[in-house]
Amino acid sequence: MPHRTVLIVDDHPGFRSVARMLLESDGWDVVGEADGVAAALAAARALHPDVLLVDVNLPDGDGFAVAEALRSDPAAPRVVLTSSRDDAGYAGLARGSGAQGFIPKAQLSCGAIDALIA
Amino acid sequence: MSGLGRALVALGLAGFAWGLAYLAINIASDHPDDPVEIALLKLLVGWAFLYVGLFVWARRPENRMGMILTAVGLVWFLPGLVDANTALFATAGLLLSNVAVPVSFSLVAFPTGRIERRLDRAVIAGAWVWATLGTLVLALLSPARPDEPENLLAVTRSREVADAAEAAMGIAGGLLAAGLLVALALRWRASSDVQRRELAPVVATGSLAAGAFAVLVVYGALGVDDVALRAVEVVTMLCLASLAVAFLVGLVRARVVAGAAVTRLMQRLEEPLAATELRDLLAEALRDPSLQVLFPLPGRADYVGADGEPVPLPAAGGGRAVTPVDREGRRIAVIVHDAALDRAGDLVRSAAAASVLALENARLEAELRARVAEVTASRARIIAAGDEERRRLERDLHDGAQQRLVSLALRLRMARGRVDDASAAAPLLDGAMAELEAALAELRELARGIHPAVLTDRGLGPALEGLAARATVPVELEVPDAGRLPRPVEAAAYFVVSEALANVAKYSGASHARVRVERRNGHALVEVRDDGVGGADPARGSGLSGLSDRVAALQGRLAVESPVGRGTVVRAEIPCAS
Repeated sequence: MPHRTVLIVDDHPGFRSVARMLLESDGWDVVGEADGVAAALAAARALHPDVLLVDVNLPDGDGFAVAEALRSDPAAPRVVLTSSRDDAGYAGLARGSGAQGFIPKAQLSCGAIDALIA
Repeated sequence: MSGLGRALVALGLAGFAWGLAYLAINIASDHPDDPVEIALLKLLVGWAFLYVGLFVWARRPENRMGMILTAVGLVWFLPGLVDANTALFATAGLLLSNVAVPVSFSLVAFPTGRIERRLDRAVIAGAWVWATLGTLVLALLSPARPDEPENLLAVTRSREVADAAEAAMGIAGGLLAAGLLVALALRWRASSDVQRRELAPVVATGSLAAGAFAVLVVYGALGVDDVALRAVEVVTMLCLASLAVAFLVGLVRARVVAGAAVTRLMQRLEEPLAATELRDLLAEALRDPSLQVLFPLPGRADYVGADGEPVPLPAAGGGRAVTPVDREGRRIAVIVHDAALDRAGDLVRSAAAASVLALENARLEAELRARVAEVTASRARIIAAGDEERRRLERDLHDGAQQRLVSLALRLRMARGRVDDASAAAPLLDGAMAELEAALAELRELARGIHPAVLTDRGLGPALEGLAARATVPVELEVPDAGRLPRPVEAAAYFVVSEALANVAKYSGASHARVRVERRNGHALVEVRDDGVGGADPARGSGLSGLSDRVAALQGRLAVESPVGRGTVVRAEIPCAS
């Protein structure tokens, strides 16, 4: 599994810290965190991570909006959506928004992300 | 007899004598301006105005039209003084000969007796200047002709000057008459249908008279030959006489028409009729298409129409009048109508009195409709409040327990990664993780059942995709991406599909289902069709009966067709006009 840099986007600090711990323990670099759509887009442009791990529900919009905003930029990071809600509709919405896919939060791991990106 | 009545009789007698004096001066004159036939005609016109005026004044003392008509009749004979054989009277006649013109112009005050429009005022003011200052200057510049008594005011002996002054006066008078015609035309254009009906006879004859007058003064000024001048003068007289008659006709017709209209209305009211038809009947009887019938509701300050919808009363002024209808001391309705109808006798009140029972019925119907509308609105509000509460509950679950349990699951997984498979803790951790996974799954299911977040965030299409993906049989979705629907409609449609698909899974034995959403004529049409065994009875607690209430609260309809052996169709039709 290749080494990757990740930006975690979620408005729950508790989830951000545990996700950071999890991804770093698998050897990936978490280069930053953001708590909303605008902050995520700004951080993505500043930090150039490989992957954006984005929560579906954000205070100033939703994760699909992040993917839609980045989809026309070939240099932009790949977007993977996640949520503790596990709606079967999310996978279709994620693909439709230009994201790589959707992972339920409880099943988060570097391997799961990598499987979507590869 | 009242004081006013005595005064009017005295005026009538004085006017009669004044008219006879006018005729006598003309007959005795050694230099008559008019032949005796014309003088007789003028006498009749003057008297016509005088007595029509006195009649209107007596009948409608509050309306100044009577006073104006009477004044026209009285000043009418003043020009006749020029025929007097003594210099003093003849000179006075010269000075006063044109006063009748501005007084006659005041007839544009019809039908209220008030001169309100600025152009009307300007034309009348101009006519007064013309009739006083203009006439004075003309008198100063016009020496008597050889056969006339001396003009005591004349300051010149020159006939040329007098002719020029006369021509100037004539043209100015013609312009004033033209101004009056324009004022009448503008007034006509700005009038409502009801006002026009009232104005028609007076405006028609008045325009003719003003036009004839304009021709007359210009002809006079230009010295057109006598025969043509006489002809136009006679036409003018006839127009003026018919103007007086038109006033009388207008007044009488209002009463006659009112009586006939109310009689017709009473005949029509013998048939049973709907509340909205009553308005049409009254509008027809009063010939006011803009008429509204509004009803008060107990405990409410505003008024409602026959359909129970609130309608504001018109502001004061603005040409609309409100006639209240009371029964046994209680307000049962108000009729909002063209203010011009208030002058048509007691027409509105008579019509209201004739239809008081029908109005009472219509009020009850309107009250019922208003109550139903209230209940419908409150039912929709209750459902919306319930939905909002469910949304909040789901969000609380999501932000609270769900987040903590997800974090816990991830931490457990990390811990498991650091524990050797051979360790005694390993099976304990594996068991805990499995338990937690199950708990999370149940919690997710619960939260989604309370209210699916994707519906709020992304609308009906994505939410239905989720439902279809979780369904136990293949579901074909046909949902156009036509923008969001109102929230309550989306929620109702979602729960209808959710419940229908749950029934497909539980009872139908179907191999396939199809969900179709369509927007048509301001309605959302939702249809769930399966190829199962059919025979579903919506009345027997299938969960659809609760949804039927939810759909009905949005004034929609839910129908279930389920012939045995031929599948089931659940169809909801929900208006989304909000």
